[in-house]
Amino acid sequence: MTVISRGDDPPYPPGVSRGNGLPAPRGFGALSERRGRILALLGRRLVQIPLVLLAVSILTFWLIQLVPGDPGRNALGQYATVAQVHAWDVQNGLAGSVVTRYLHWIGGFFSGDWGTSFTYLVPSRPIILGHLANSAFLALYAFVLLVPVSVILGSVQAYQEGRRTDRAITISLMTLSSVPEFVIGVLLLVVFAVGLKAFPVQSGADATGDFGQRIQAMTLPAVVLAVSYLAVLARMVRTGTAGAITAPFHRTAVLKGLPPGVIVRRHVARNALIPTLQLLGIYLGGLLGGSAVVETLFNYPGLGALMVVAAERKDAVLLTDGVMVTGVIALLALLLTDVCLILMDPRIRFESRES
Amino acid sequence: MDSLPSSAGTAELGAAGAREELVPTALAPTGPAAAPGAARRRLRALLRRPTFVVSAVIVACWVVAALGWHLFGLDPYGNSGQALAAPSWSHPFGTDNLGRSVFARTLAGSDTALAVGPAGAVLATVLGSALGVIAGYFRGWVDTALMRLFDVLVVLPPLIFLIVIVSAFGASVPALIIIIGVVFAPGIARIIRAAVLAEMGKKYVTSARLQGESALRVMATELVPNVRPTIIIQATLSLSSAILMTATLSFLGLGQQPPSPDWGLAINQNIAYIEAAWWTVIFPALAVASLVVAVQLIADNIKETW
Repeated sequence: MTVISRGDDPPYPPGVSRGNGLPAPRGFGALSERRGRILALLGRRLVQIPLVLLAVSILTFWLIQLVPGDPGRNALGQYATVAQVHAWDVQNGLAGSVVTRYLHWIGGFFSGDWGTSFTYLVPSRPIILGHLANSAFLALYAFVLLVPVSVILGSVQAYQEGRRTDRAITISLMTLSSVPEFVIGVLLLVVFAVGLKAFPVQSGADATGDFGQRIQAMTLPAVVLAVSYLAVLARMVRTGTAGAITAPFHRTAVLKGLPPGVIVRRHVARNALIPTLQLLGIYLGGLLGGSAVVETLFNYPGLGALMVVAAERKDAVLLTDGVMVTGVIALLALLLTDVCLILMDPRIRFESRES
Repeated sequence: MDSLPSSAGTAELGAAGAREELVPTALAPTGPAAAPGAARRRLRALLRRPTFVVSAVIVACWVVAALGWHLFGLDPYGNSGQALAAPSWSHPFGTDNLGRSVFARTLAGSDTALAVGPAGAVLATVLGSALGVIAGYFRGWVDTALMRLFDVLVVLPPLIFLIVIVSAFGASVPALIIIIGVVFAPGIARIIRAAVLAEMGKKYVTSARLQGESALRVMATELVPNVRPTIIIQATLSLSSAILMTATLSFLGLGQQPPSPDWGLAINQNIAYIEAAWWTVIFPALAVASLVVAVQLIADNIKETW
């Protein structure tokens, strides 16, 4: 899969050579060329995504076939006859060769029949989608906390580049980012939930409960999630902003007497946020799919925690469907990022990362 | 948190590349790595850095604890008769719900924490470097095939991928080592490949090939020594990720099983008692954090001094 090479590129101002020796296209001709490239990229993505998804589904399905256990026997108990177990297997798509079973499963997956969970004994689709919604809600909350903080930290660092503030923030963020998520979670739990009693220890989202209460219960897990992404994101903002500040177009804007607010909004923010946005898209996929660690620690009913339960109980149906959903989400997040980048950055380069 | 060790910048590639152009490789096949004083100078530079020294001491303490905890007369499995007792002189870290000393269990837990990580990191580095060098050297369809395969592997979040593999192959120590090796290899391969691509245009590679050296020989004696800094940095980075991943799997209940004193498992088992006995959770948590952060800081220091 090709990814647009934005991340480590210096933010080029409009009209400046883009490193390939050719001047950037200008005027109307450039516009139509650009539109052609956008369509080409989106078209390529629409071909790539199903292919990657197919590969992921085959890999996942094959791996999960290796999970030991006899679900038919487990479901029917020790007094069922061999014939009964076989009938159950046929009914649940567990009979036949791996290829037959794969085709049965993938066909069902795309037609909405995701099979029945061995553990919960109900169709796996509503369970997975329900947990996915919970995970997405938590991810959204984490994003709301994460984005402003990292933008502020990163831009403060960029404007103070090389000074003590910059170094102090870098060192504390780097250290914080290497501390495992569950350790940060445990420390927060001990201080804020056990010590200060400001938050509940269990964050199980009770959808019927009061919204404020639900938000309060979700605060600690959201903070842990946000903290684990903070360092990388702040770093990205710092690099982007520093690049924009040192670029010639920034000096021009300052020298022609634009008010600082306009410079920040029109010249710095746009250029600084493009690489950040791409990184956010990559993380969004992971975040939406749920963080197994944070959800398990806080007993939050998200998709990640569900996958852990499915793995513990050897629930192949739930595991296969859940992993597939995670893959779909990750790929869609990448596509969404591309679209956002195209909307934000008119001079984007559509080249594969390797070239 | 991005768990795969894929964060190496390109700065070190440039530094390595700038040096080697001057070395007549037909005579000195190992390039810059052959300079004898360089290693000692680098070590001295590292020892001047306080974060490196402190981290190295912490890691050394855990290695001593892992190798020698049974020599210290610690009993991580025995019931003291007092369940969930607060920290005291006889039990410095308190006791857990089964009356076992948290202090003894925390020290003994370093054993399983260090059983998988180093071997897994070595395997990942060897596998990833080999694939990266091969992909970068041959380019063409080998490269494309490997890179597309890795693209598929990185679609899933690493932890979810790990959960699937562990449920398929089990979580015994040898299985975990292989799993960690395989899961971390693609990230390393990508970075090594990028480093090799930067080297491929250099004159020493061309002259070695014109000399008629076999592909294997060029890769092993010309390319590997010249991308060695990148390989070493990736190895240390993946070590910290590997330790973190095994602790995470145990924490999720998918790794070590009771009554193992593993840190991740201890947090998993005792989180239910956090309100009554915070000490059962906090000490194993601090132990994981100290080891993972120390290894990470060592990696950062190596990266900066190279």
